[in-house]
Amino acid sequence: MSLSLIRAAAAAVALSATAILAAPATALEIEHDLGKTEVPDAPKRIVVLEYSFVDSLAAVGVAPVGIADDDKRDSIVPAYSEVIGDTWKSVGTRKSPSLEIIASLQPDLIIADTSRHEAIYGALSEIAPTIVFDSLTGTYEVALKAAETIAHAVGKDAEMAARLDEHRKKMEGFKAGIGDVSDLSIQFLIDNGRGIYLHSPVSYNGSLLAWFGFKSNMPAPDGHTYPEAIVQTSLEQLSEIDPQIILRGKYVDPGLIDSWVGLPLYDNLTAVKSGQVVDVAAHEWSRLRGIIASEVSGANLVDVMRQLRD
Amino acid sequence: MSLAVRYALLAAAVLIAALLSLVIGPRSDVGLGNILHLLFVDDGSLARSTVVDLRLPRTLVAGLVGANLALAGLALQAVTRNPLASESILGINQGAALGVAIAVTVPSLMIVNLDVMAIIGAIAAGFLTFTIAGGLTGRLDSIRLVLAGVTVGAFSFACVRFTFTLEDNLSRLVLSWVSADISAVRLAQAGPLALWAALGLAASLLLAQGFNILSLGDGASQGLGVDPRRTRFLGALLAAILTGASVAAAGPVMFVGLVVPHLCRLWFGQNHRHLIPAVALGGAGLVLLADAMSKLVRFPYETPLGTICALIGAPYFLIAAIRARRMA
Repeated sequence: MSLSLIRAAAAAVALSATAILAAPATALEIEHDLGKTEVPDAPKRIVVLEYSFVDSLAAVGVAPVGIADDDKRDSIVPAYSEVIGDTWKSVGTRKSPSLEIIASLQPDLIIADTSRHEAIYGALSEIAPTIVFDSLTGTYEVALKAAETIAHAVGKDAEMAARLDEHRKKMEGFKAGIGDVSDLSIQFLIDNGRGIYLHSPVSYNGSLLAWFGFKSNMPAPDGHTYPEAIVQTSLEQLSEIDPQIILRGKYVDPGLIDSWVGLPLYDNLTAVKSGQVVDVAAHEWSRLRGIIASEVSGANLVDVMRQLRD
Repeated sequence: MSLAVRYALLAAAVLIAALLSLVIGPRSDVGLGNILHLLFVDDGSLARSTVVDLRLPRTLVAGLVGANLALAGLALQAVTRNPLASESILGINQGAALGVAIAVTVPSLMIVNLDVMAIIGAIAAGFLTFTIAGGLTGRLDSIRLVLAGVTVGAFSFACVRFTFTLEDNLSRLVLSWVSADISAVRLAQAGPLALWAALGLAASLLLAQGFNILSLGDGASQGLGVDPRRTRFLGALLAAILTGASVAAAGPVMFVGLVVPHLCRLWFGQNHRHLIPAVALGGAGLVLLADAMSKLVRFPYETPLGTICALIGAPYFLIAAIRARRMA
């Protein structure tokens, strides 16, 4: 065998070796809140650790294999389960998901929340490529942006573009149904029986209500931390903010607010005097965020405004 | 300075702290200028409702919790003859918090109501600590007592912390208990606390002579015909009940039971008959001041009372520790 032939053979071997080694490099590089992560092409086994990521996947018809559903299967509302089915495995609570169960699902992609899961990002990344977005304290715009990136990561760009088009049309429709509310102040709050928690202008719900054109009387905090987005408030502070419409999500019945009925400070709230305190579904409003969730909220708001105007 | 003057000065300080706690708040129509008018004249205004329905209950609860916890701390220090003893060091506070956490997370385990659950938790933790340390009958070893308390406290709090990993809403509920958030208390909660505080003060005064004799040591105590075990048992029970009642109303407020008796001893001496009213007043004053601060730190939003008390208490504990070393 001539020397040149050996050289050529060696080069061929080297070339094919490079090709094999480089194969994962054809995977996508996804930029997210905690850096850049290589994600395999069209991942099949996806684990999500916040409800809004279920929303993003459902929007493009992808079913996750594992969901941090707080160990309550009905926390995945019909709007999602109609698309993703009922075969996902619960991986525990969103706050502290079980790494063991996640690993046992052998995922090829994990989608986690920036503030909730930063501490376990390393451990998650050892299990599978992990991409991270701000769901808990992000705004409506942040949620849409994350949905686009997630769709890109799972190879559904075209589907997401079409879905977002449809979304914008739906949302404009809701906005028209709600009408001009630029002179109406509104406040969404959660009542857990011991305290009330206002969703501030920098929260997801605050930004969504602003998108529909509502005013907020609540001063906008500087940052986007959890206590700035979800602000515990006393009746006295609520009387200072005094919104014209209160959207109330109660986790327990009767709530703390019900114990205030009869107190002059509560009875004289503008929203109370004018009968504009409206109960909405606490779980849907306060925990679900994203494309589908915002459409549910939009449709809900159209009904609420129709009721209030009648 | 005569005893009466010192009491008067302390009472004045408590009144000023109470006034601060009443005046500070997000509504601007309540101020130092009109607070007394709003308190005593029902003019039907929203400012009046703010003061009477929202701020007054809170001020009362803060003051009463302070008095109860300080008295509990004093009783524990007398019973154990250990100046480090207090509800938090002996794990009683944490035990009460565990009682509340169990009731909140597993409602089917609730016995009567949260007050009772907190008191059961406090008594169980106190009993456990004293048993580990050698029991109420035997010789109480200071080091063993503190170690036992730290163990019981750490175990109880570990269980409470476990609930933080549960579902968001549940953990938020427990957290608002554990950080002693009193922003939503109502007048109805101040009633039972006032009753406990009155009973606690009376019981402490009845036990004062016993506490004084205990401080002489078991031998002297027996020589004077007083059974030290009886005083110890009653003192410890009193401390557990006062702590439990306070935790049920406000949550585990740390350090009050340690700091206040210390400061009062510096000013009023070692005689429990003089100390007890001073400690009750001092505890009320400290927590009222902490309540006022809790409204200012993140104005117009609030910081839980427990956080502020810990911020005041921890440095004091450090100073006490350094002083103790110097004394040794």
